[in-house]
Amino acid sequence: MNVDIGPITRIEGHLNVKTTVENGVVIDARCEGEMFRGFEIFLRGRDPLDSQQITQRICGVCPYAHAIASSTAQENAYRLNVPPNGRILHNLIQGANHLYDYLLHFYQLCALDYVDITAVLEYTGKDPELSKVRDWVKAEVDSGKRYPAAPFLPRLSGKYLNNRDANLGAIKNYLEAMRMEQKANQAAAIFGGKFPHATSIFPGGCTQEARIDLIVPYQSLIREVRDFIHHKYIPDVLAVAGAFPEYWDIGRSQGGFLSYGHMPLGPEPDSRRLLAPGVLFNGEVTAVDFNQIRQDVNNAKYSSPTNLQVRDAAITPQPNKRDAYSWIMAPRYAGKMLEVGPAARVLVDYTQGHNPTVKELVDRFASQAGIRPAQLNSVLGRHLSRAILAAVLADFLLAESQRLAPGQPTMAAIDPPASAEGFGATEASRGALLHYIRIENYKIAKYECVVPTTWNASPRDDQGQPGAMESALIGTRVNNPEEQIESKRIVRSFDPCLACAVH
Amino acid sequence: MFDRRKFIKLAAALAAAFGTKGLSQPAKAALNEIDPRNVPKLLYLQGLSCTGCSISLLQAESPSPVSMITDYSQLVFHTDLSATSGAQAMELINSFIDGEAGDYVLAIEGAIPENMPEACIIDHKPFADYLERAAHTMSGAVAIGSCACDGGIPAAEGNPTGAIGLAEFYRKRNLTQPVINIRGCPIHPDWVWHTITHLALAGNPSMINGSPRVFFERRLHELCPRYYDFQEEIFAEKLGDRGCLFRLGCLGPITFADCPTRWWNGGRTWCVDTNAPCIGCASPNFARKKDLPFYRLSEGKGRNR
Repeated sequence: MNVDIGPITRIEGHLNVKTTVENGVVIDARCEGEMFRGFEIFLRGRDPLDSQQITQRICGVCPYAHAIASSTAQENAYRLNVPPNGRILHNLIQGANHLYDYLLHFYQLCALDYVDITAVLEYTGKDPELSKVRDWVKAEVDSGKRYPAAPFLPRLSGKYLNNRDANLGAIKNYLEAMRMEQKANQAAAIFGGKFPHATSIFPGGCTQEARIDLIVPYQSLIREVRDFIHHKYIPDVLAVAGAFPEYWDIGRSQGGFLSYGHMPLGPEPDSRRLLAPGVLFNGEVTAVDFNQIRQDVNNAKYSSPTNLQVRDAAITPQPNKRDAYSWIMAPRYAGKMLEVGPAARVLVDYTQGHNPTVKELVDRFASQAGIRPAQLNSVLGRHLSRAILAAVLADFLLAESQRLAPGQPTMAAIDPPASAEGFGATEASRGALLHYIRIENYKIAKYECVVPTTWNASPRDDQGQPGAMESALIGTRVNNPEEQIESKRIVRSFDPCLACAVH
Repeated sequence: MFDRRKFIKLAAALAAAFGTKGLSQPAKAALNEIDPRNVPKLLYLQGLSCTGCSISLLQAESPSPVSMITDYSQLVFHTDLSATSGAQAMELINSFIDGEAGDYVLAIEGAIPENMPEACIIDHKPFADYLERAAHTMSGAVAIGSCACDGGIPAAEGNPTGAIGLAEFYRKRNLTQPVINIRGCPIHPDWVWHTITHLALAGNPSMINGSPRVFFERRLHELCPRYYDFQEEIFAEKLGDRGCLFRLGCLGPITFADCPTRWWNGGRTWCVDTNAPCIGCASPNFARKKDLPFYRLSEGKGRNR
């Protein structure tokens, strides 16, 4: 039978997945990206310094990643000498944004797939917040409304956590996580100006100053978030893993992994990074070469040529293109399909033995859960990878903020040349993000973004290879083929962002 | 060198370019059908959006986002928070839009691709179809963010989709639905939630140019803590400098919003406090024109080709 499982909620944007189910197993899956705006078209002819602002609006969930990728591309194009404070502030702003995003993903976007919200009706304790939620759910259920307790009900059928205390703890942490996400965003905004959509990030640094009265509140907020990560988030991820261990083997993508590396440790854009870059195939890591990336469009709704390199990218929409089923292009690396995101960041770094804390945490949690590190390529593996990265990043941000030199410059002087080009690569929370800018006569002549969910939710490429998410869905056993809570858990483990994927 | 006369001349030129004269459209956005004794049920749908406004709504502190969607309103559907999905979600959405599930307020984030309906699809149907059907059943609509109000970034010059805002979408179809416009890229969470609480507790807020007066009545420049710097002609010369940011391109003089007194992210900061010029994200013509860059750093270079 053929079943469309979209619209898929608790992700960013407009995604449908067409599935074919036989004998309770998904035998085919096609990811349909259903929204298109045309950023790369309307960026042409604009002032290049507009681009770190405009491209943030590709995604309001991870705008800072786009600001950093765009700024780095321009730094390379303008050959800026970024002062140390400038790079550190980029890191502090983007890193705090990652912490919020990991918490948002686990609690607001995924928890309702595992946690039984109705368990709150059994609450008998004295916590005012849980008591209030209990009374609200009870009043809603008794109200005779057609859709009581929305947006938390209705929900799909399936197995949910059946441990009362674990459910109540997770519901409490769902609420507390929202406050922690705010704190992480406030920390970022101290230097970024506001969240979402920072105005202070520029190529060459940040317009905000490095002042003690800003650094100390930043550290204080990050410390609170760090405590939550260690005392609530990581235990909750492990609790879900303990109750749903089958998901260490469900949702495995069938290609390689790509990470651009994260958090430059020096002012130059190509500095060594906290997390190492690389392309991982069959246990071997090679250096990233942007020239190996080509984007196929035979199954995407464009009439522009297929299999183009990033530098030569073209985009002409053709909404009714025959047989094309998605607005998402299919980027491939040397012709191969890759997964990007938290598991890719961790596996690429771990395989190289680069960051000792990543290695220690992967080994410790893998041993606790009784899995091999390669099983980070799974639904639970992606969740655990985010938790590991959150722990590593929170410590890094506290140390990095100590390295700010108060009173010293935070920005390079900018004087965009008449013609130039540059790549900017970073890691958004959802994975590898690449921007390319070419400037002619002081204006943007070409702008191209190859975005994490473009990789993960890509349609079949011109060779017929499925995208990472499609490949992770195929072979999944589903109890209720009409609803497929199992497939949705797989999709959400990638944290897809469709506004990013198509833009 | 940069005297007040030059400032006023430049401000007038900017105002003309951004068409602020067009702001005085009839302020007929009133949700008269709403009974303040019942909290509004919000059916929240996204068009050509980045979800930034939804994420901004989660940054509210008092009341908290959870309190907002359980005490002061009911969020019957939101794609980022709803437990439901797929066919079950569509049954819920369609039952409201078909008028079978009672009164509701349509909350829209994102623009509408007027010339390319296939550019935004929900359950095999264009986003526009849902808006047309909802026009006959909703109590009113709140357009959340610059995209939903005027097209925003997706409507930037040279865009391929013909993106427009909700009010224009209804105007073109002779559907006279009341729309409250809350501009900003993204919106400040207070601007939306305080509008919702006003609807829940006291009915329609006082409006100016289709938006709640209390947030959008005055120019950012008038309220700016750096107005003194402007008067004393203490101007930032380069990015990262303190002082009035007008010479770098600050659009505070033509942007109507209360950022300078409200501040962002728990009141910790706002753009100008980080020495970043206002880019006019709450302006109806935000980012619209290619030849009006956000920053005046490369003035004279590559212009008027």
